[in-house]
Amino acid sequence: MWVWFSKLGSPKWFYELSGKWLPWLITAMVIFMTIGLVWGLLFLPPDYQQGFTSRILIVHVAVAGTSLAFFPLMFVAGTITLVWRMKLADMVAKNAAILGAWFSFITLATGSLWGSVMWGTWWEWTDSRLVSMLFQLFLLLGVISLRSALEDSDTAAKACALLSIVGCINVVIIKYSVEWWNTLHQVSSPVNMDASSPNGPEFWIATLIMIVAVYLFLSVSLILSTRNEILERERKSQWVQDLVLKS
Amino acid sequence: MKPHRRKKLGIILFITAGLSVAVGFTAYALKQNINMFYTPTQVAEGEVGAGQHFRIGGMVKTGTVLDAPDSLKVNFVTTDFVSDVPIQYEGILPDLFREGQGIVAEGEMDAAGVFQASRVLAKHDENFMSPEVKAALDAAGASADNHMPAGTN
Repeated sequence: MWVWFSKLGSPKWFYELSGKWLPWLITAMVIFMTIGLVWGLLFLPPDYQQGFTSRILIVHVAVAGTSLAFFPLMFVAGTITLVWRMKLADMVAKNAAILGAWFSFITLATGSLWGSVMWGTWWEWTDSRLVSMLFQLFLLLGVISLRSALEDSDTAAKACALLSIVGCINVVIIKYSVEWWNTLHQVSSPVNMDASSPNGPEFWIATLIMIVAVYLFLSVSLILSTRNEILERERKSQWVQDLVLKS
Repeated sequence: MKPHRRKKLGIILFITAGLSVAVGFTAYALKQNINMFYTPTQVAEGEVGAGQHFRIGGMVKTGTVLDAPDSLKVNFVTTDFVSDVPIQYEGILPDLFREGQGIVAEGEMDAAGVFQASRVLAKHDENFMSPEVKAALDAAGASADNHMPAGTN
């Protein structure tokens, strides 16, 4: 296992391996994304109260759920960077912050649209779910700007790992905000296997497909941006120059 | 694991634990401030000071909505099934506003004990279902209600 672990830390090895994975991941992503979006946006039944507006859940729920994965990912990557000095983990953490900021922004934007139609408001400063999600966006923007402000990569990695710890605590707060405090935002809809009950398969199967699609999108984007980062940081090494000459 | 790595991992875990405890205590201390609204029961128990501007959240009690025919004035009662608070509002209600629906209203209590709302928001619950499922559930619920003694529902 340790051999595998240290091998994964080698940018060259990761570059070659991810090159083999990418076509499969992209194919799976396109399939899941197409099924999820077509089903969710064209065939999902209307909600008895919200009508067709509820179809926005297909995008909102999938992106919001996935956006909570970024800080735990950055925390693990940051810890590996600080403890084991793995360059690759630092590259993943750097690109995860940028992607995570976009995911958080899309979550807030789609939620705002939904709220403006259903609740009668775009934004409520007193709702802990909304504010904790905005806090996540600001934290991620903080991580991004910290990294570009600190020239010493070691200091930057330390500072970003520390912010990631705060981000992970905030993820727990986002997740349970609707249960610990009363909010305008609904509590999580439980999945129901029974087709004749609320939240039955007619709603959650399409949502589940979209969640898989969005996770695949996250993986593909993260791998692609990390590969770019590898080429840039290792541009003076022999294998990268060979690669460029070959293509 | 090498000692210097073990030490670093220890520092990271220590910071994580410390920050979690600090955030946990802060959130606990600020509990009522983080809550978006008071429930009708909290209002009935006098948790809200006189003349305070606050938000109240509950269900629109069935059969209590009175629309004025010639203005945007509306009166209704909000309930958490323990206590009731009457609300008066003048303005446009969200589309989702209806009897049995969750709402959050912002405003003040007047001398007569009526909540004078300046804003009313709709709060939808976590149950998504198609009109067909809702109709089937209502049909099943209606037949179940017939077996219950009067006044329990």
